[in-house]
Amino acid sequence: MQIKVENLKYTYSPKTPFEKVALDDISFTINDGDTIGIIGSTGSGKSTLCQHFNALIRISHGKIYVGEWELHAKKLNLGALRQAVGMLFQYPEYQLFADTVKEDVAFGPINFGKSKEDADILARYALELVGLDYDEIKDKSPFELSGGQKRRTAIAGIIASRPEVLVLDEPTAGLDPQGKKEILDLVTELKKSYVKTVIMISHNMDEIAEYCNRVIVLNDSKLLYDTTPRELFSDKEKLSLTGLEVPHAVRVKNLLEARGIVLQGTPLTSKEFVELFKGGAPCAK
Amino acid sequence: MREVSFGQYYPSGSKVHALDARVKLLLTIAFIVMVFLVKSLYAYIAVAAFILLVTLVSRVPVLKVLKSIKAIIFIVIIMSLINLFANAEGKVLWSWWILTISEGGIITAINLALRLIFLVMGTSLLTYTTTPMELTDGMESLMYPLKLIKVPTHDIAIIMSIALRFIPILMEEVDKIMMAQKARGACFDRGGVLKRAKALLPVLIPLFVSAFRRADELALALDARCYNATPNRTKYKQAKLGWGDLVATLVTGVFITLVVAVNNNFWGLY
Repeated sequence: MQIKVENLKYTYSPKTPFEKVALDDISFTINDGDTIGIIGSTGSGKSTLCQHFNALIRISHGKIYVGEWELHAKKLNLGALRQAVGMLFQYPEYQLFADTVKEDVAFGPINFGKSKEDADILARYALELVGLDYDEIKDKSPFELSGGQKRRTAIAGIIASRPEVLVLDEPTAGLDPQGKKEILDLVTELKKSYVKTVIMISHNMDEIAEYCNRVIVLNDSKLLYDTTPRELFSDKEKLSLTGLEVPHAVRVKNLLEARGIVLQGTPLTSKEFVELFKGGAPCAK
Repeated sequence: MREVSFGQYYPSGSKVHALDARVKLLLTIAFIVMVFLVKSLYAYIAVAAFILLVTLVSRVPVLKVLKSIKAIIFIVIIMSLINLFANAEGKVLWSWWILTISEGGIITAINLALRLIFLVMGTSLLTYTTTPMELTDGMESLMYPLKLIKVPTHDIAIIMSIALRFIPILMEEVDKIMMAQKARGACFDRGGVLKRAKALLPVLIPLFVSAFRRADELALALDARCYNATPNRTKYKQAKLGWGDLVATLVTGVFITLVVAVNNNFWGLY
């Protein structure tokens, strides 16, 4: 499903003293199969933009096309759209509510019109996919789980509905390095099956560099760049405008460069860095 | 965030906003007493003029002040209806079965409606022009005499300000949780009353859980900074009486005198 955003504008509390422009004239296209990172400093409008994709925020100015749906149209089949565009919020474990884990995960599929049996099957599949032992966990209360298990349960609650597009708002916030890696590997795994497109907000540039094929930079409610991670992180001038950090691999490369060891190309991950370092002979001054 | 029109602070930096919260509180109380003394139509006009004047000086949109009535319109209507039929003084104008409308009934009904409306408009002007923090600080200061009889005024004030501070936070939380559940296909505006109430469960449970979590965290944070209500706490923002407060008091005083005079037909206007 292609997602096309045209001249999107959004203002919070218009015509009051609390008025704040959150998005200003944003246009870009997300293609089928993209894993797209949305980055920018806090308050740059990332979350607001993402909440447009499944019509949680209705469009006031501009247009968005999600596959067949025209989100700027007055009448919209919200159920079908939200089933197709799954959205994981920040700290999704705070949305758990049901008596048992199974019920909580089946909440989405049932809302989207699945029968109870089908929803249970989907819940089982989703819980196993996120790496939880279904039989052990299904009848537990979601509130007695550990933090990591809660996060996985919440993610299972989204993917149980089998969305084609997955929108993730800082999916790894507050997790330890191991947990972060597991979540992102899960996203990679999902992209091999029914999830076609992933849209990911993150403050962690290493994650963006490793997992995204495209990146969109928002700054002060405006779209600053729409490019690939490699291009973005190899351009120091571009980056200095945004105040964003660079991935660790790029940072090490830049530090080496400052000491006179120039590596050709931009390594995005530690693996790439090692390859580059071994292959390209470092030319000392 | 959703718009809350009932008594939300509306910053405009006017002279009214700059007044001492204690003065505003006392003047509002005086205003309420005055509204309940008023009986004549002319005096009501004077009260309306006073509210309009304060609104204009405070630069809060007139419409916003009028909107504050919306919250109590049902109470006003019901109370007026009860009064309309309950009071049977004066000439009977209309009667059917056990219902009678008399002159006295109409007058008390109108009186009551106007009083309630002016009451809410006056107090909402107070909350539009005063931040919750100023308000609680003002109340704590005014409650000073109670301290002498060992009432923990500071504790009361801090409880109030924490409660007020948490309202927007919890509202934001409600918004967030509602969005998250909507993304999972929840629907809050369809079906009958029972179905809608049940649909709110996935919002209320996480909300309660997070409210308790926040309360625990706040208690820990207060403890960690050695917070306690010792008698000699100092304030970051010292409230000081200024010339503006004197002027406001004088203006209000003159108006109250005027209204009372008109009310008692001092000049023989009617």
